[in-house]
Amino acid sequence: MKAAVVALMLTGANIAGVAQQFGDLDGSSNKPKSQEFIVYAAEQQAAVAGKSSVLELNFRVVDGLHVNSHTPKSDLLIATTLTMDAAPGVKVGDAVYPAGSLYSFSFDPSEKLDVYTGGFTVKLPVVAQAGAHTLSGKLRYQACDRAACYPPKILPVQVAVAVR
Amino acid sequence: MVIVAGICLMLWAGWHNLRDRKLALEQAQQHRMAQSMAGQAAKGAAAQGAASSQSDAKETSLEGKPAPQFTLVDLQGKKVSLKDYKGRPVLVNFWATWCAPCKLEMPWFEEFRKKYGPQGFEILGIAEDDAGKDEIAKAVKRINVSYPILLTDPKVSPAYGGVEYLPESFYVDRNGIVQTETSGLGSKDEIEANIKRLVGTGATAPAATTTTAANGQ
Repeated sequence: MKAAVVALMLTGANIAGVAQQFGDLDGSSNKPKSQEFIVYAAEQQAAVAGKSSVLELNFRVVDGLHVNSHTPKSDLLIATTLTMDAAPGVKVGDAVYPAGSLYSFSFDPSEKLDVYTGGFTVKLPVVAQAGAHTLSGKLRYQACDRAACYPPKILPVQVAVAVR
Repeated sequence: MVIVAGICLMLWAGWHNLRDRKLALEQAQQHRMAQSMAGQAAKGAAAQGAASSQSDAKETSLEGKPAPQFTLVDLQGKKVSLKDYKGRPVLVNFWATWCAPCKLEMPWFEEFRKKYGPQGFEILGIAEDDAGKDEIAKAVKRINVSYPILLTDPKVSPAYGGVEYLPESFYVDRNGIVQTETSGLGSKDEIEANIKRLVGTGATAPAATTTTAANGQ
């Protein structure tokens, strides 16, 4: 019985060793270490053909982190910016960003930052022809926690719009 | 009465700020442990218990290991190598112009450079920016530091464990070994303590001479 347990453990260790060589079988260890700090809640949107509609893209910053708003107080800081690709049959206007909230690192209360924390919504004015459209784009952002900062990241964004 | 209230408020503010900074430090440390543990996950963590995660964390750290060599270009276009500083205690600091906590500690580094420079201490600031040299130079001027600022290259960040969390500091001793590694902002006192430990006991010899001279009088 003991021998069986030992054999099982050795087999397990062996498999782990092999897994290390090839990376996890589900490929997760082959992915770069970086994670996303903003989550995009993709929602089916609706619009009226030929009329100006506003699409709402809902994002949520991971708890404990903040990202610079679209208008940070320093030109050195990386602003949160949404860029949409052109799509046939859809005229996409300039994104409208929410106002940020004031934030200071505890170790430097004098520097006031303009940030998004928690949920924030970017509005996208569109005029579209009838039909089902998928708009693609990307959100560029740069996140920090209370003591350090992560490099800027790009989050791919897709919006499905049903236009009647 | 108003004075008492004022003093109480100041004490509370100080305590609150200290608590916030402690929280920030803890968060930085937690992040480092999480990073190490995530890195170990692929190494068959199932075969190991949670108890071993402490020693695992050390494996991904550079502490106790030789600092990876690099040759980078400074803001004047000159080539600078880590080996140029062989025999000197060096703080290799990864920062970026968009990183507020990084920019906060840089003036402290400048201060410590003046203080411990006579003992050979130097700081090399590696800017992890996509931004061009001119933008970095402008930021450096604003922050007002004079130690060498180097432009990153694709090799140095992976060599130092993949610097994904700024600021990151590597305290390299006179033998080229990484003595201490930190990520996230630390307190000014902590940074000075790390530098003092790095620079070693070089300061005690002059002190002894002074005492003897004083006794001689």
